[in-house]
Amino acid sequence: MSRWFRPRGLRSRLVVAFVLVTVLGAAAAAWAGAATAGTALEEESRRRLTETLERQISAVTADLAHPPTPDSLDRLRASIGEDTQVSYRDLRSGDLPVITDALRAAVRDRGGLVFQTVTTGGSRKLLIGTPIVLTGIDLRRSPSGVEVYAVRDLAETDRQVGRLLWTAALTSALALPVAVLLALVAAGGVLRPVRRVRDTARALAAGDLSARMSTRGGDELADLGRTVNGMAASVQEAMAELRRFVADVSHELRTPLTTLTAVVEVLADSVDDREPAARESAELALAETQRLVALVEDLMEVSRFDAGMVSLRAEPVEVAGAVRDCLGARGWRDLVRLDLPEEVGATLDRRRLDVIIANLVGNALRHGAPPVALRLSADDERVEIEVTDHGPGLDQEVVAHVFDRFYKADTARAHSAGSGLGLAISLANARLHGGDLVAGNAEGGGARFVLRLPRHHREPS
Amino acid sequence: MKRLAAVGLALLLTGCGAGSSEVVDGMRAPTGLAPGVTLFFVDADQRLRPQPRETGRLGTVVEALALLLTGPGADPDLHTEISARGETRVVVETSADRITVRLPLTGADLTDLGVDQVVCTALGVHVQGGGSASTTVLVVFTLPGTEPNPPRRCPVIPPG
Repeated sequence: MSRWFRPRGLRSRLVVAFVLVTVLGAAAAAWAGAATAGTALEEESRRRLTETLERQISAVTADLAHPPTPDSLDRLRASIGEDTQVSYRDLRSGDLPVITDALRAAVRDRGGLVFQTVTTGGSRKLLIGTPIVLTGIDLRRSPSGVEVYAVRDLAETDRQVGRLLWTAALTSALALPVAVLLALVAAGGVLRPVRRVRDTARALAAGDLSARMSTRGGDELADLGRTVNGMAASVQEAMAELRRFVADVSHELRTPLTTLTAVVEVLADSVDDREPAARESAELALAETQRLVALVEDLMEVSRFDAGMVSLRAEPVEVAGAVRDCLGARGWRDLVRLDLPEEVGATLDRRRLDVIIANLVGNALRHGAPPVALRLSADDERVEIEVTDHGPGLDQEVVAHVFDRFYKADTARAHSAGSGLGLAISLANARLHGGDLVAGNAEGGGARFVLRLPRHHREPS
Repeated sequence: MKRLAAVGLALLLTGCGAGSSEVVDGMRAPTGLAPGVTLFFVDADQRLRPQPRETGRLGTVVEALALLLTGPGADPDLHTEISARGETRVVVETSADRITVRLPLTGADLTDLGVDQVVCTALGVHVQGGGSASTTVLVVFTLPGTEPNPPRRCPVIPPG
């Protein structure tokens, strides 16, 4: 294919191929048929013309004097008709300049009727030349020296052949819409399964590992569909196994950790204040153990989300009160500048809302710079909670990955108190409500997280 | 793609055939010219002998038979085995493979050689005029009292 014509889609390529093949085939067949018929037509008209000439000559020869006189040559020519020349040695009746030397030579040498087609002035002519022979009483044939030449028009034959070719071209053209229709049908048959494969692959890529495509028939495309389904099944199986493993691990870790926490707390309490080094170690051990507990709990929460084993417990909540309670319970009331309306009633899962707010405010306090601000607003449809700090803000790179699990924006601060799963869980909780959580930067330069939840959660019917 | 188009164009152009074609052989040349007609008479040994007559042209079977009925003329070696009654008007019908000659005589007016004279003269004109040599000749006598002869060939003209 050259540069000026390159069909892109499979459909157009199929249509073009179909049309090319069909029209070329139809044209070739029609052309061949027309050419054969044309040849037959021309042969027939040639035979007719030469036979007519032979009959016209034979009809008068018995009455002609031999050797001929100029007068008898004229008579012979007149009886044959227009466009005729008769000659005997030096005598000549009529003049036909169109007769070729090759034809005259053939008439003299071959001793029979010969013909030739020539094109003059845009139309084709049949040149016929024949000697008249003498037949002896012993049947021996010898040349008489009399030669007859005639020019006959082939225009009518050419017109008939032209009509044949035109009909052939028309027939080929009729094949065109049929070819296009067939091609569209065939392309549809091929493209429908291809589209199903694409949709399934897209759903899989978007995280819906249960996406499968319907496969009917036994052709290559159905085979491809089954392969895609098999691939999706094994990916789903592998993911499920991984999640089960994480869930099992976190579950197994929790029981000893609970014991460990209790023991460390007892130890920390019993350390004598007069031994500062021992006290510091005990407090560090306590902090790290508590962090480990938080991490395991977050892991279990994430596992529950992955396994789809979470459910929303929607209940009437006064959001402003819930925010105050959340901050109060964690001792953050004085660290956060609040901007709350009087009373915002909503239908939400109170525990999950608490988790999200604690996570967002905790992050702002830990990673950002004070003052941290929380602003609550609501309209009839939505509740919006915005948490901003006055730190350096988030890099573009960070914004893209901030909701990824265990993503650490600052590797130098790897040993921070967070589990690395908090934002991932917050986002999952927001989406569970049918809402969203967006990361960005405030105008002043600090990080800004906006949580939007539907004001009245409706159970999906 | 471009090469394909070029090949197609070349095919189209050669198919359109400009100029003159080869010289092709057609049918046999017409015949029928002759300086005269050949009549058949009988010589002293009772054999058929051709006698050319310088009539200037071949003429028809009717004319040839009329000349035959008038006899060999002043040739001492030839005689005719047909006893003419002065009436020379014969009727001839020619079909694809048969020439029917109607003579104004009775069967008694000709010997067998006389019939051959008629048959050979008629067939000679027919053959020289481009007719088939395998044509048979039926001689019919218009005067009553004669059994019809079966169709005959000329013994001295090869049958094609």
